[in-house]
Formats: sequence, structure tokens, C-alpha cells
Amino acid sequence: MTNVKVLRGQEPLYEVIYQILKRNILSDELPEGLVLIEGPIAKMMLTSRAPVQAALRKLNDEGLIHRFRGRGYLVGDAANDPEPVRRNIEEFQLDISDQSKSALELRGTWMRVYDQVEDDVAACQVFGEFRLIETELADFLGVSRTVARDVLSRLNERGLIRKGASSHWLAGPLTARILREKYELRAIMEPAALKLAADHIDPAEITVIRNDISQGHTRESSIYEDAFQQHCLDRAPNDALVEMIRNNRLLLSSVNKALVRLGLPGDVVAVDQYRVLFDLIGSRQITAACEYLKEHLRLLADKNLARLKIVALVTEAEAIPRYLTPL
Amino acid sequence: MSSYLYDARRLAAPPTVKRDTLRIIGTDVTLLEEVRQLAMQDLQFNIEYEPLDFLTCQRSAAMNPGQYDIYEQCFHNLDIVWYWGALQPIDTQRIAAWDKIGDLAKIGGVSKYMSQGYGDAPIKKLYVQPDGVIGQQSMRHISMLPTVHNVDSFGFDRRIFGDEGAEGSSWAWLLDKRAKGRIALVDEPAIGLFDVALAAEASGDLQFADIGNMTVDEIDSLMALLETLRQQGFFCGSWLCASDAEALLHADKVSAQSMWAPSYGNLGPMQDIFVESVPREGYRAWHGGTSLARHLTGTKLGMAYEYLNWWLSGKAGAVMARQGYYMTVQDQVRQYLSADEWGYWYDGQKARTDLTGTNGKTVVRKGQSRAGGSYLERVSRIAVWNTVMDEYNYAARAWKRFISSLNEGQS
Repeated sequence: MTNVKVLRGQEPLYEVIYQILKRNILSDELPEGLVLIEGPIAKMMLTSRAPVQAALRKLNDEGLIHRFRGRGYLVGDAANDPEPVRRNIEEFQLDISDQSKSALELRGTWMRVYDQVEDDVAACQVFGEFRLIETELADFLGVSRTVARDVLSRLNERGLIRKGASSHWLAGPLTARILREKYELRAIMEPAALKLAADHIDPAEITVIRNDISQGHTRESSIYEDAFQQHCLDRAPNDALVEMIRNNRLLLSSVNKALVRLGLPGDVVAVDQYRVLFDLIGSRQITAACEYLKEHLRLLADKNLARLKIVALVTEAEAIPRYLTPL
Repeated sequence: MSSYLYDARRLAAPPTVKRDTLRIIGTDVTLLEEVRQLAMQDLQFNIEYEPLDFLTCQRSAAMNPGQYDIYEQCFHNLDIVWYWGALQPIDTQRIAAWDKIGDLAKIGGVSKYMSQGYGDAPIKKLYVQPDGVIGQQSMRHISMLPTVHNVDSFGFDRRIFGDEGAEGSSWAWLLDKRAKGRIALVDEPAIGLFDVALAAEASGDLQFADIGNMTVDEIDSLMALLETLRQQGFFCGSWLCASDAEALLHADKVSAQSMWAPSYGNLGPMQDIFVESVPREGYRAWHGGTSLARHLTGTKLGMAYEYLNWWLSGKAGAVMARQGYYMTVQDQVRQYLSADEWGYWYDGQKARTDLTGTNGKTVVRKGQSRAGGSYLERVSRIAVWNTVMDEYNYAARAWKRFISSLNEGQS
């Protein structure tokens, strides 16, 4: 992990992103008029949004991209007034120099560390309230305190930890009330996003998922939950809404992962419900799909509330890494 | 002798029908050796009982469904076990006496006009709904066959509290300063927590919007109250099983404590002094039952249904009655009790002779009558059921911390 320090001493991350985007704009891989939005770029580059913002500002200053009436930037000169082209950045075969690649790969390592921490911090919350200590986290991950601090602020951004009264970082406890509130939020936001996304969903993708379910490839409902997010909800032309949905689901899916680790068997009923949901979406019955989704979420909330109760019978020590101190 | 007969029958049976062992996990509320022997005699196959403590039983049932065939515990434990996918629905058409099961389990109160009580009334978890969740809309399939049940209160020392007046005692006595330093609680978060919650509400210290489904704030307030009382020295300890509760009494350590039906018969010389209360706020109730493990199929499933049907046939109910517990199919039980026993345990009449318990010792003396009266009188007054609330995870952890500081303070 010492490499991380070396990397951080080298080029700043926004510079790496700037270089990649510039290279591909100049080569016309990213066409004129393409809408560049922070979120998807950050996701592809495995970074937070801040360096993407900085990179886009720099490209804007240089006239390679320009602001327009919508969210984000358009590739090309404002004087040409191009029509906005809305496509996901991940659809393009970006040409990335070896140097940028290795910088991003190291970044990826950091992100993998982050993902594990995120999983653990989310999963511990079912066991009560915990304190996170920066030095112990750095120790545990084998990284500098600066990196540990970055990890903590990202966790905070995503609503997984908070500062307590004595400015310690605190996580949890995940109560039934929080769980219920998160499912209520899902029932409000997700049908709304599905409605907005209706015209942007690719029927071919839905067919693939439907076939997958009917062939019984997996009985793991979380796979279809993720597919629903990726191929349906993410298509809503409202990035702020999509991000809220993703953040709101974060804790819920981590809890689910934690329960699966404890031995929770697959939810056959939930898989069947996803099949019906994808059938409705595939046949473009969006209003019915929204209603069905609400009902599915209501059931899921009840089931998960009941499942959470078993955690009371499991001792903390079985699952908690040592940088988390129970309170 | 019975196993010899069983072996003889086996030789005559077709070789394809292998009647092996039925493995049952549960608690010592129902897994009594006497019941096992009676069941084996009638059913002609081997039965293994594995009695566990309440929490371990719940956990094993959910997480090791391959290790047992039948699960016997309570409806309030079902949420955890059912939603962990460990059980399979019971087809009521394979339960011969299904129609004879009383309304307490099937409609939630002894009649449709009675309150269900707060918390996990069995009906709320009884029927398997079309979407696989358990709920109260009547369906052909059920999650657990309702069997043994009772209503509980607490015991108190008449020398300190005097006799109950016409209006009965109050749960407030369980946290009363007259018993300060001599109060013990049952250490079970789905049970003991409600004893003290009823007491705190009866004394006016706290109020719960829904005592059967407390909020985090309400749990915090209750635990804060308990901690204050603990620091003031109100409690002398906690207990896990009925015999521990009896031991506290025999050691002359308690003046008021949570207590369960079988213990009142085991108090010896203390029997007239330490008595079961009839709290004016109503009882804390519980309802047991029997469920089928998910993995059962074919012959084994058939054996399991035989065992379920046997539970309602009356013999088990008679054993249960002698420790103060009720059964859902009561006509059958009556056949296996003497008129005196039925009169005392179910009808609330004065015992006309000494009555013996499951252990063969006298548990009721001639002239005594059951606190609270007849079955109908008692189960008409249910305030709250043993419950695994939505915030169970939070409450159970807070409870565990309280109990461990209570026990540290004692040692």
C-alpha cells in the first residue's frame, strides 16, 4: 500500500482525469455535443466527484467543452451550438495512456480498500453503535492517516457515518425505524424514477434479464435488484434523483449482504417478484410496474424488519473488524 | 418394553417404509420426558428431544434447519425463524382437530369482541399469506400449529403487600419500593422487558404509545428507568429458568419477581406467603406451537404430521395442564384429566383433593383455587403478549447490557 503515497506525491487525480478526457475529445472518440456529467465519469474513473469537477472546469477554461442550458457540459465549442448527445460515457472506448492507466489502477486499489471498509461499516450497524478511530483504520488498512481521513470523509458523504458531539466518528445503530424510513423513501423515489426512466430503458436489456430469471440462473434476489437499478432506475434523466436512490440503498444492501454472510438463504419470492416487475417493464406497462414496485418494496420492508431481528441473537465479535469500537 | 414392541412391528412392515427418528428442538416448556414417552408409545416411532434455552432455540431453529425435523417454541419467536426460510407451511387439511382449536389462537381473542392485547398475538403470525409472509388473514396453510399457552403475571410476598383487594394487584408492585432490594426479573428480552414495561406504565413512570411495539426513544426511557432503579439497589438479581426463580425464593431473597405457572406449585412452605398476582392491568400472555422444518418430505413429513396431530389428541395437554398450561383443543385434554384436575386447572374451582404435578409431587393442596379464576376469565384479560418487537435487536442489546450490570453488581 506504500504505492498510494507515491501516487499521491505525483500527479493530482483531477489532472489524470483531465488528461484522459482531453485526449479523447481531441481524437473525436468523445463526439461534439456529448453531455458530460460528473457522476458517471466519477463512477467510471473510480473517484469521488470533486476531481471530476476540477477536470471539467479546466477543460471548460480551455474551451474544449462548454456549459449549456442542461446539467453538465457539452463537448466542443459553444460557438458551434451542437445538439446535446445523451449517451453514457461507459459506452465509449476511451483511449487511456499507460501512465493514466497505472494512476487509475492504483486509484482502483484504493477504491477496493474503500469498498471493503464501506461494507464493514455498513454491516456493523445492525450490531449497535460503533466509534471509528482514524489511526486504527489507517493501521488496519496499512495506509497513511491522510488516506484513512479520505476514506472517512467519503463514508460521511454517503451517510454511513457521522460526527458525534465530541467530534468522534460514529456509525449506527441501524434501528427498525431507520430501516422502515429507508424503505419508505425507496417507495417514494423508485417508482418516480422508473416513470421518468420509461423512455430510456432498453427493451433488449430487459429481455436478457427476463430470460436469465426464467432459466433460473441464480436465485439470489440481490442480483436482480442491482439489475433493476442499473438498467431501469439509472436511466432516469435526473442524476440527483438517481444518486439519492443509490445512497439510500447503500445501507440496505450492505445489511442484506451481512445477513447473507450469516446464512440467510435466497429469497425465492423476491426473485419471482422481480420477474413480474421486469415483465411489466418489458411490455411497457410502466404505471402497473410502478404500483407493483411499491407493493414489492412494502413486502421487502416487512421481511427485512423480521430478518433483522435475528441479529439480536448473534454476538458482535463474529463480524466486526477491530477499527470499529462498540459503544 | 415399548421399543421392543416397536422393533417387532418393524420386522412385519414393508421394508421400503423406514420409520426412523423424529428430531425435535424446543424448550423445557414442552419438551418433557413424560410427553416424549407418551408420544412414542402412541406413534410407534422414535422421538428425540433437544431442549435448549429460549435464545439458543430461536437461533438454532433459524440457522440450522437441517438439524431438526420439528420446531417447538412460541408464536413470538416465529418472525425470526420464518423469515430465515427455515420452516415450511402446515396444511390445516392434514390436521384432524383443526376445527376444534379455540378462538384465542384463530381470531385473536376468546371472542371477536375481546381485545387481542398488544404485541405478538398468535393470529398475527398464524396464516401463511399468498406472498409467503405470515399474517392474520385466514388461509389454508399456517406457520405453526397452536398448542400450549398461558397468561403470566408476577409473584409477591403477602407479608409485605397484603392481600389483593377486590380490584386486584398491580404490575406497579414489581417495581415497588416496598420490595426494594428484593426484586428479581426474568432475563429474556421478549418476556422480562414486558414485565418491567407493564410495571413502569402501571406506576405512572412511563407511557408507551404501543407497549407491544416500542420506539427507540421509549426503549431508551425504559432502560434509563431500570438503570436508575438498579443504582438505587432495587434489584437482587435475574433468572433464566423457572428453577432459578424458585431458588431465589427458597433462599429468601425476593419479595416480588417475575414468575411462571409451574413454579407456584414448587414453593413448599412459601406457598401461602408468596402468591401469584392477578394484576388489574391484565396479563402478559404467550402462545406456543409446533412447526415443520423446511427440509421435510415424504415419509418423514408424514411422521411429523402424525406428531402434530398427536399433540392435539389430549395426552400432551393433560401433562401441560398439571404445570398450569392450557391447550388449544380442550375437549380432548379433559378426557385425560380427573374431574378435580379439570375443575382446578381449567374451571377455576377449589381443589377438592390434593393435586399432583408432572413430577408426581403435590403441587396444589386441597382447598386452593387458581389465581385469576377459570380459563375464560384469565385469557379474557390479556394486556400484552410476549413479543419480538420491530426494535427487538436494539431492545435486546440494551436489555443484555442492563442484565450484565445487574449481575456484576450482585457478584
